[in-house]
Amino acid sequence: MIWIAIRMLTGDAQKFYGLVFGIAFSTLLITQQLTIFVNLIERGASGVYNVSSADVWVMDPVSRTTDVAYAMPSTALDKVRGVPGVEWAVPHLRAQASVRTKDGDLEGVAVIGVDDATLIGLPKAMVEGSPDVLSQPDSVIIDDVGTTRMFPDQSPIGERLELNDQRAVVRGIADAIPSFTSTVVLYTKYSRALNFVPGTRNRLSFVLVGAEDPAQAKALSERIERETGLKAQTRDEFARDGVQFIIENTGIPLNFGITVALGFIVGVAIVGLTFSLFIRDNIKQFGALKAIGVTNRKIRRMVIAQAGLVGITGYGLGVLGTIAFIWSFSANPTFKGFYIPWQIPLISLAAVALILALTGWLALRNVLKTEPAAVFR
Amino acid sequence: MGRMLDTSAIGGCKPDSAICTRGVTRDFTAGQQTITVLHGIDLDIRAGEMTFLVGESGSGKTTLISIMCGILWPTLGEVKVFGTDIYDLDDTALVEFRLNNIGFIFQQYNLIPSIDAASNAAVPLIAQGMDRHEARERAVEMMAKLNIRDQADKLPSQLSGGQQQRVAIARALVHEPRLVVCDEPTAALDAASGRRVMDLLREVAVAEDRACIIVTHDNRVFDLADRILMLEDGKIIHDGSEMPEDH
Amino acid sequence: MAFNLRNLSFSRQILPVIAIVALLLAAIFIVSGLPDRTLSEPERDPPRAPEELADAPRVAGSGVVEPSSELIQIGSALSGLITGLYVQPGDRVTQGQLLFTVDDRAARAGLREAEAAIGEARAAIAEAQTARSTALRQLDLYRGVDDPAAVSRSEVIRAEGEASAAGERLSLARARLEAAQARAASARTEIGRLSIRAPIAGEILAVNIRKGEYVSTMGGGGSQPFIEMGQTQPLFVRIDIDEEQAARLKLGAPATVSPRGASDRQVQARFVRAEPLVVPKRSLTNSAAERVDVRVLQVLYALPDANSEEERLFRVGQQVDAYIPAVKAR
Repeated sequence: MIWIAIRMLTGDAQKFYGLVFGIAFSTLLITQQLTIFVNLIERGASGVYNVSSADVWVMDPVSRTTDVAYAMPSTALDKVRGVPGVEWAVPHLRAQASVRTKDGDLEGVAVIGVDDATLIGLPKAMVEGSPDVLSQPDSVIIDDVGTTRMFPDQSPIGERLELNDQRAVVRGIADAIPSFTSTVVLYTKYSRALNFVPGTRNRLSFVLVGAEDPAQAKALSERIERETGLKAQTRDEFARDGVQFIIENTGIPLNFGITVALGFIVGVAIVGLTFSLFIRDNIKQFGALKAIGVTNRKIRRMVIAQAGLVGITGYGLGVLGTIAFIWSFSANPTFKGFYIPWQIPLISLAAVALILALTGWLALRNVLKTEPAAVFR
Repeated sequence: MGRMLDTSAIGGCKPDSAICTRGVTRDFTAGQQTITVLHGIDLDIRAGEMTFLVGESGSGKTTLISIMCGILWPTLGEVKVFGTDIYDLDDTALVEFRLNNIGFIFQQYNLIPSIDAASNAAVPLIAQGMDRHEARERAVEMMAKLNIRDQADKLPSQLSGGQQQRVAIARALVHEPRLVVCDEPTAALDAASGRRVMDLLREVAVAEDRACIIVTHDNRVFDLADRILMLEDGKIIHDGSEMPEDH
Repeated sequence: MAFNLRNLSFSRQILPVIAIVALLLAAIFIVSGLPDRTLSEPERDPPRAPEELADAPRVAGSGVVEPSSELIQIGSALSGLITGLYVQPGDRVTQGQLLFTVDDRAARAGLREAEAAIGEARAAIAEAQTARSTALRQLDLYRGVDDPAAVSRSEVIRAEGEASAAGERLSLARARLEAAQARAASARTEIGRLSIRAPIAGEILAVNIRKGEYVSTMGGGGSQPFIEMGQTQPLFVRIDIDEEQAARLKLGAPATVSPRGASDRQVQARFVRAEPLVVPKRSLTNSAAERVDVRVLQVLYALPDANSEEERLFRVGQQVDAYIPAVKAR
């Protein structure tokens, strides 16, 4: 009977492709928009994710994200080091600065000062050069998106910059996820960063902490808060804070929410209409089948099989479209690091299932309501 | 030779009757009004005969046939098909009973347009759970009996009306039901084709242990009937092998 | 009839297959595209608490290595050209050992002058003594003449005057000798002051002068000390402890110290003393003109002696990270 159901469905090519298109379009819209949305707001957490070795971030109690941070006195580092369960702790500086390029242009940059001795705080990978270049005088490492913004069509290696009247020489390119605003990021040693950033009293933005037992990072962050009076967030918490900050301070969630809802509504509309048209066209056949002796359960299964085929096909094509989109834009620096979180295809699958369940149920109700006796009229 | 309406048998069915109705009444509610379409029909239909059910539109013949083949519940009365009180069965069992025991031929054929003729004919077997290819082979055999073997691979839309009706007949007979119900089999056909279809039906559908009920008002084919039942206003007004003179 | 090419339907078979292949592709793409957010171990070892303190109460601090004598900045009392430099950085010196000399020609000239004056004075003394003895003998002679007429009274008076004048001349010559000797001694002292010697036994840590340079008592432009030295056996570390943490510090307990950049090489340092004065935190972050609102307690610890030059881990001025046990009670 399933075979018959599938034949009935594909027999009407127009409606079948209509259905597949509806589902594929919904899937594409929902998956693609959710993907962009998630990646965009996760840019708020890129500063956290770029530092791969810190289990816990310690900051002033008023600090909120990697970019909205209030500096602490330098003894905060020693306070944190004194907390049991802290395996290591290193200073981390993040500040905004203006850089004068060789052409004389002024560009806002983020200066990140990493621990002098261990270089903890640098991104995990480098595009060009090695982290060791920081031991040369006046070295900075630029991030790859910053490269495309500040040095389009040329290699930044060896370029001289002027930061707070200090000379800085670009000697490496880091492979980092750009921030929400795609600010150019310059990495340098902590002690040198102090010279690059105009002086304020306290300079230490964060203390990066490695836990004795990374699995107990949450407990450790609570202990640090208790013992030092500073704010400590585990890596995941702090990443979430960054995301939360974007959500609270931009209209992005609303915009994308509207688009996703539109995708859903368009899906329901196209699929619902086409599916009920299809069922209405075939209502006589269904009636005949019911009269001949096909139980409601089998009819239900037939409609489910039809919905399933439409669903799988449309969903597969929709996801393919999303992948093609992400893949084709992956070279664009704006989309650097964009990925499809595995939850999103599942969400769109659930949405597709919901669309089909809704429209299938409406269509099926007609079929099940049909009296078999109607075939004699 | 006309037989008298046997009203004395109420409450008991003859053991040899294929279908036996007792006191079948059917009401339809239309708004505030209740219309009684059938008024206590008592009927015995024997196997091995071709029984015609005739009557004007609105006489209740469609309602009666629907009740007799188990797709419409009577308001009152009982229906036994080959000894089974079909309205005593639960919904699923009734559907199963129809599937295994009754073959349907609809006025509009109701063939599925997107599968070929043989597959259409095989639908009851497939619904019974038979493997699709085996069912199709059986359907092709049945179509051979109906002289449309060569149309097996065609889609219904590629067939003429008569051929479609034959496919519908093949579908009604493929699972060898004990009761065959035809609704206006000739209504959509010209006289010659209708005649041929009726001849064929008589040839293949009528069997020793099979009852065949045909609803029709096509007087051109009345001569093929073994028994003609005439309905008027929900009552059987004639029961005999010929039509009454005044019709 | 099951699967011949004619029955291969685009919508029923090819499209769903494409869809399923697409889903598989998607799964691979998604799984391989997931960002790498695993935590990694830092490539270079950051300073870690020693094992026995890992889960115990502890205080951390940073500090600087210094000589146990503290840093001695050698200066010069006199200005002048450097004529001799007798030590190099790293030399071990004994107390009083000559470090460098400043141009002493002027002082030596003065000495020679004084010495000449001494000679002159001595000659004058001799001449005065001779004159006096002559005068005295003449006077005796006159006094021995009883005949007043033989010697006139005026002759006697003149002889007496000559004797007394000779005595005065002698005294004057002696005084001149003393003055010349004092001048010579002063010149010698000055020559001594132009030779700078080690105030204590220790190690020369820095030499900022070269032979021929002019040193000034006023201090040079960079006001660098001429020579820096100190007792480096043993070395001390001065650890800054945040005043808020100071109360927790277990005074007397040894500290675990590691140099910056070699945090895997930790040593135990013996407690010496805590400075009685809590001072403003001197930032070790190279920033000039830093304003301060944190005060620190400075605690001194003695580092163990290095067995050989190759094993020498700590040098004066080096920054260190330290972990010190804390008292449990909070």
